[in-house]
Parts: sequence; structure tokens; C-alpha cells
Amino acid sequence: MSRPTVTIISGSGEASKDTISVPNVFKAPIRPDIVHTVHTGMNKNRRQPYAVSEKAGHQTSAESWGTGRAVARIPRVSGGGTHRAGQAAFGNMCRSGRMFAPTKVWRKWHQKINLNQKRFATASAIAASSSAALLMARGHNVSTVPEVPLVVASTAFANGAIAKTSAAFALLQAVGAGADVEKVKKSKKLRAGKGKLRGRRHRQRRGPLVIYNPDEDGKELVTAFRNLPGVETSSVYSLNLLQLAPGGHLGRLIVWTSSAFSALDKVYGSTTEPSALKKDFLLPSAAMKQPDLSKIINSSDVQKVLRPVRGGAITKRTNVQKKNPLRNFQVQLRLNPYAAAFSKNKEGSKKVDGGKPVRVGSEYVEQIHEN
Amino acid sequence: MQANFGNCTPKFPQHLERRPVGRYTAHTAEMATFSSDLIWEITRGNSATLVKRAQSGGVSFSRDQFNLRNKYSRKYEGLVADKAIGVQPGQEGGVVVLTKKTDKAHQPAAQIQTATIPAKRSTRKTYAGIINSTAGRNYRSDLRTDAVARASAIRKSQKPVKADKPAKVRGSKKAKQTEA
Repeated sequence: MSRPTVTIISGSGEASKDTISVPNVFKAPIRPDIVHTVHTGMNKNRRQPYAVSEKAGHQTSAESWGTGRAVARIPRVSGGGTHRAGQAAFGNMCRSGRMFAPTKVWRKWHQKINLNQKRFATASAIAASSSAALLMARGHNVSTVPEVPLVVASTAFANGAIAKTSAAFALLQAVGAGADVEKVKKSKKLRAGKGKLRGRRHRQRRGPLVIYNPDEDGKELVTAFRNLPGVETSSVYSLNLLQLAPGGHLGRLIVWTSSAFSALDKVYGSTTEPSALKKDFLLPSAAMKQPDLSKIINSSDVQKVLRPVRGGAITKRTNVQKKNPLRNFQVQLRLNPYAAAFSKNKEGSKKVDGGKPVRVGSEYVEQIHEN
Repeated sequence: MQANFGNCTPKFPQHLERRPVGRYTAHTAEMATFSSDLIWEITRGNSATLVKRAQSGGVSFSRDQFNLRNKYSRKYEGLVADKAIGVQPGQEGGVVVLTKKTDKAHQPAAQIQTATIPAKRSTRKTYAGIINSTAGRNYRSDLRTDAVARASAIRKSQKPVKADKPAKVRGSKKAKQTEA
């Protein structure tokens, strides 16, 4: 079997004659469970430790007044001359007191992720990005995308051709990813809650991820794409799961440059050939070659060992509810075929023939009385 | 043992043939293929089309245009299926029937086949048209009734709404009216 190929799309959006064979990483097994756990870990490792000041709420020389002054025994600010004097201090229930269990920077923020698992998750996320169904399930607008994986000729990026945001947007539109950028633009909303005050004022969808090869495509495109809402760029040599599977959900829309796409075999190797750039890494292979259940069931291998179905088109159903023949006429008919004629002729409500009994005649009485 | 998955002999046991997920798989050899079963397992808990609410016992609905009953389930979710039928109201009345081309699974822009059935076509012919182009041709025959039911509901919704009859005047009001 020849290796599958994808068409390279030119910068103006036409499908070129050139095709490129799909790198081995796209055959990696898709494991949402691994992607999810690795994503959770990476998301944690990205956090910046935060804490309140060590001194917060304790910058006063408050002492308790003790008992006998008809006030609570909480420490109170000493002195006089200001409103602050005599006010309760330190406690988490006090105004200007310290918070309960003040946050510390030495919280356990980070967690170890096995490197091989991390690589597995990245490979899995890349493989999942070649399924149109998964892109749609992630919420990408791919109705205008000609093909996934979406590979754009590197000639479109040559010599810093994409250095301006207008050129970058025009390129995305030409290759069919413009609808997804528009979707992001429309999705910008004010964040609910306190996050607004903490540098996360707005929330918006994620758009396409542009993956380039810095050696051949240059780095001008990074500045060109960075002001497009939702669009991210990444070098093919430093792919990040947080971008490949945002939220831990598979299926990011990726725009590959052709040089980045062909570099993937170098970066990830294959299931038998170790990667050139990652030490001791072989691509994982799928545990199940054929994940299509109906295909397995309908395969001749399975079908030939199944015993033939017993009975015809209509088979007797077992374990069904018993029907009462006195209430269910159809069931009664099955038991008593005469029931149809009986009910049709109204046999049940017919009067018995013969009318009233005839009085015994006088001869009979005489006969009895003869003795 | 070499498994032969492509070549299926036609001696399917009937109970397998009637399975709702059916044999509607035809993949291209172009790309690494993703089976619907796999995609369903990935997306069943989380998808852009899934509408999950706490009310009514946590019902799961679907926004998928290929979902004939708007119900998020393996059978009805068209996003995960290789073959799926969608029935949508047309721009100028009538219905639009959507189907998925199995050989264009990797080409989203070319994947959807649309056919418009105009409003002037009788409903019976509309249903026959939907069946003849899909379920009647071994294309998701398990969705036959659902496709027709959806088309029927759409056509019914496109009928002009009848104005209510004026309420019958009763009692003292009626007496007054007759006086006047």
C-alpha cells in the first residue's frame, strides 16, 4: 500500500499538483485519556506561584484586652488618637485582619509528567488534527477548508512574504481558514467574575494554529499572525500540547507550512526508526489496527465462524409478557379459533331457542294420579 | 492470520444487519482513517454539537445539522458517522436534504451533498424523494423514518398559521348583543 498523501495548497488557495506523503506521526494512536492527563499536568506546570504578603494583616502591635472589659478577647490595636485604636486585629474574621490560611508560594503547583507520555500525547494530538470530524467536534469552522491536514506551500512564506497581518489574514482566507478566524472575532466576550481584574478580561475561542519551520519559512510570520484573534503560531520543532489540544480536547485546526509538514518525520521518526531529534523516542503504534467495530463484525473472518441464524424472518420471541386471552382478543383467537365466529354471530348474547316451557298437559297429571 | 476487512460476503446474520450502527462504512485509502466508533468514543462526552442541560434529568441534545432527531446519541449524531442524512428547512420553503460523501471525509469543503426539494412539491413526493436518494439506496436505511418525520415536521411548520376563531359570546354579553 502506498503511503497516503495530502495536496499542497498554494498561498492563493488553489490546490497544486504537488502532493506530500503524510508523516508517520499521523498514524499515532489517538488516546484522549493520555492527552487529557498530560494536558492537566502541563496546565498545572504553567502556573505562576502566587501568595499574599507574609506581613499582610500582621503589621500592628495588637494585644488582647483580656477578660473583664465586656468585649471579645480578640487582639485589639493599642494606643489612641485614631479610629484604628481599639479595633480588633489579626483574626480572619476581622476587618483588616489576615486572611484565613494565608496562601504560600510553596504550594504544590507543579507535577511531574513522564517525558515519553508527553511525547505520546503530542503525537496523538497531531494525529487527531487530521480528522475533520474531530475538528468540527472541537468547534472549529472547517466548512471552507479544502483538505485536512491543511498544508500550505512554503513558497507563500518565502523571503518574509507574510510579514504583515493583512497578508497573513489574506492567506488564511485563501486557504479556507478565514471562517474560523471570523468565528473567533465574533466570540470575544467579557469574562464573568473576578478574572476580569486579574489580567483575563476577555474570553474568546481558539482559532487555527499555524505551524512553520523556522529554518525555511523564517520568523516574520510570527509577528504577522500574532494580532489575529485566536490565531497562534508554533515552530514545528517545539510543539506544545497546550496549543495542539486546548482544554485537553483533541482536534485543533492546524495550518501547516509544507516545510514544517515534511519536517515532522525528522522530528518524530516512525514506529521502527527512532526520531532524529528526540532521544530514545519511537512513535507509539496502535494496539488495535482496525478500530471500526462494524467492519470487524462484517469481516469475512468473523462471519465465516458464526453459526447461521436459526429460524426465518419471523422468530418466536421468548421471555415476553403473558397476555390475558380474556382481555386480549387476538391472543384468545390463537387459543380458540372459533372465538371469531362466536363473537361475529353474537353467540354469547343469543337467547336459548324454545321460548317458555310448555305447561305439562292434563294427560300427564291424570297418568300420575292413576295410582 | 491475515484479516480481510474490505471484502464482505453477503451472508450477514440478520440480527447484525439490523444493528442501528449498521454497515455504512466505506473509507478512502487516502488518509489514515478514523472509524466512527473511535470518533464517537472521543466525542461522546464533549463536543461542539452537544447541548447538555441539568434539567429534565440531564438530557443531551445535539446542534448537528446531520442529526435528524437532535438527540446526542451514537445512531443520530451525524458528525461522527461516515454516512449521515440531514434535513433542514429550505430558504424559500421546502426542505434541503444533506448527505455526506464518504470519499470526501478529509475534505470538509466538498464533503456535503445538498439537494433542495421545493415547497411546491407535495409532501408525499418530498418524502419519497428523500427515501429514494438515501435510505432506499442502502444509505443509512436505519434513518428512513426519522428523515421522513423531520421533513414532515418542517413542512408542517411552514404552513401559514390559521387565525383563531372569534370566541363565542355567552351569557349576559350575548343577551346585550341580541338586544342591540
